[in-house]
Order: sequence, then structure tokens, then C-alpha cells
Amino acid sequence: MQRLLYERFSSKMYGVCLRYSENTEDANDVMQEGFIKVYQNIGKFRGEGSFEGWIRRIFIHTSIEHYRKKVKLFNVTEVSENTIEDDKLNVLDSLATKDILKIVAELTPGYKTVFNMHVVEGYSHKEIAQILDITEGTSKSQLARAKGVLKKKIEAALIKTK
Amino acid sequence: MQDFKNKLYHYEAPPPEEMWHQIARELNNEKVIKIHDHRKNKFVLYAVAAAVSVIVIFLGSVFFKKNSNPQFTSRNQEEQHNLLLAQKIEDSVHLNQQILKSIINSPEEKKEIVSKKANQSIASKIYLTVAGPEGQPVKISPKVATLIISADNGYPPKPVWSQEIREWQKIMLSSTVSPTSANFADQVQLAANKQSDDKD
Repeated sequence: MQRLLYERFSSKMYGVCLRYSENTEDANDVMQEGFIKVYQNIGKFRGEGSFEGWIRRIFIHTSIEHYRKKVKLFNVTEVSENTIEDDKLNVLDSLATKDILKIVAELTPGYKTVFNMHVVEGYSHKEIAQILDITEGTSKSQLARAKGVLKKKIEAALIKTK
Repeated sequence: MQDFKNKLYHYEAPPPEEMWHQIARELNNEKVIKIHDHRKNKFVLYAVAAAVSVIVIFLGSVFFKKNSNPQFTSRNQEEQHNLLLAQKIEDSVHLNQQILKSIINSPEEKKEIVSKKANQSIASKIYLTVAGPEGQPVKISPKVATLIISADNGYPPKPVWSQEIREWQKIMLSSTVSPTSANFADQVQLAANKQSDDKD
């Protein structure tokens, strides 16, 4: 049963691990740790929501924990949110997934985590603040900075392709 | 959701081949993979909770019964005692009133009452024996009958009596020392008084 579960979800969860990690080594560690947690806590799944969503959350939390062990991220210096509309990021749509992933992976850990959680996973700033133990303002400012950096990177990438 | 978000969300990548072996090895090392059956756990939990509740209720009822019974009986006894006391007081008040009314209304009956209450003793001619608030015999001078009848005989009468008696005691204490037969000096004084009376 464990093997079946692994085969069913390993590719998706490895994708999550790669998005949150800085390199494949970290992603592998998170992947291993995440599946062990899934097997150990599978009895706690109460059937509320999708099973995949439950597993995904375990992997996201494991990624954050893993990263916390390595680096002290998230200074609580709050800056005024330099709002960058998501429209500016629409240009990412034209890129291939690998390229998008590459650009996102270049973000600093703090930016990347908040960006992944808010933009990709759909967590609210309040939820992010609770999970990462930061203020909502910090989460917002991290996201704004992440978007700013992304915008620059996208522009640079587009220039390169031209 | 924008397309790039979808792409990122559904991004999949095959993990390294040795990944499963590492996980399996880790799992074998731990050997603590418990897959709980929640329904079974819940049933056990509910059963335990129900059993504990029954035991607690049973013990509680036994304890309560044990503790409450003596209180109940003692309360009953107290109530009965109070009822008896109230009855006694009522009886004594009634008797007092009857006697005192008789004394006041027909002084001729004094002797009859006295003879009934005091077995025709010599003292009975001097004292009237009436029932106190709790039924106790109280010898009083017929002279104070009017004083007693004027006192409040309402329920509960005992405090009124006590108050009256306390006041009488105060009066007696504040008066000059009356001679007693137990005191030699008193006897001398009494003899002297008698002599002076005889002379007069």
C-alpha cells in the first residue's frame, strides 16, 4: 500500500519539493521526510477535503520546516507594499514551465516561499503569517518584493530570448 | 488562475529512482507505522467514556445517598424536635394563660389550682405553681400574677420570660442584701431584727 501511495503521488510531490527548495539535494531530503510523515500520520486524515491536498500540505510544511533548519529567514522588516499587479506577471504565461520554475527558483528563499504559498498554493497572508510565524505585513512585503524581483528577471529573460 | 500559476501548481517531476528505496529503508528502520482505524478508535473511546460515566454516576449516587441520608434523618429529627418543642410551648402558654386567667378572674380558685398543682403542700399556700414556657413547673408568688399576665405571651414566649426574669434578677441584685439561713451573720442580723420587732 505504501508503495502504491508513493507511485501515485511521488511525481506531484517532488514537483512541490523542487518549487520550495533551493536545489535537488534539499528537494530529495524534503521528499523523503515528507513521505515518512505521510505514512506516519495517514491515520489522522479524516477525509475532510482531498487526500492529495492533505499530502500537499504535509509537503509544504515539511519544506518550510526543512528550510527553517538551514537558514533564518524572514526578517520582520516591513516595507510599504510596492504593489505589482499580477498582470505584470502574465508574461510568465508565455514561458515554459521549466523556465518559469527556473526564474522562481532564483528568488531568495523568503520571497520564494511566500510567492509559492500565496500565488501558487493560494494561502492568504494571514495563513502564511501563522505558518511562517511572521506578521501579515511582512508576508505582504515579501510578496511585493518577490514580484518586483520576478518582474526584473522576466524582463531579463525576455531580452535574452530576443 | 493565471496559466503560469496552474503550470507551477501542477508541476510534476519524477523523483530519483533510489528515492523509494531510501524511504522504504527508513520505514523499515522505524517499524512504527500505525494506521489507525478511526471508527474503531472512536468506538473504543465512546465505550470507555460511557463506562466511565456510568461508574462515576453510580459512585456519585452511592456517595450522595450515603451522605444525604443522615442529613435527611437528622433534619427530620430536628424538625420533629422543633415541632414537639413548639407544641410544648403552645401547651405551656395555653396552660399559663388558663391558670393566670383563673387567678385573676376568681381569686377564690387559687387554692384549688394550687392544690391541684402542688399536692396540697404547705408551700402551695404560699406559692402558685405554673408551667413554664417549656412545661417546667415554676413557683411564683400570686402577687406577680398580674405582672406575668401583662407580659407578652406571644410566640415564642421563652425570650419574653427570660427577659422578664433577667430584669427581676437585676432588681434583686440591686436591692439590699437579704438575709439567708446559711449565713451566721445573717442569722445574727435576723435575730436582732426580730428582737427589735418584738420590742416594737
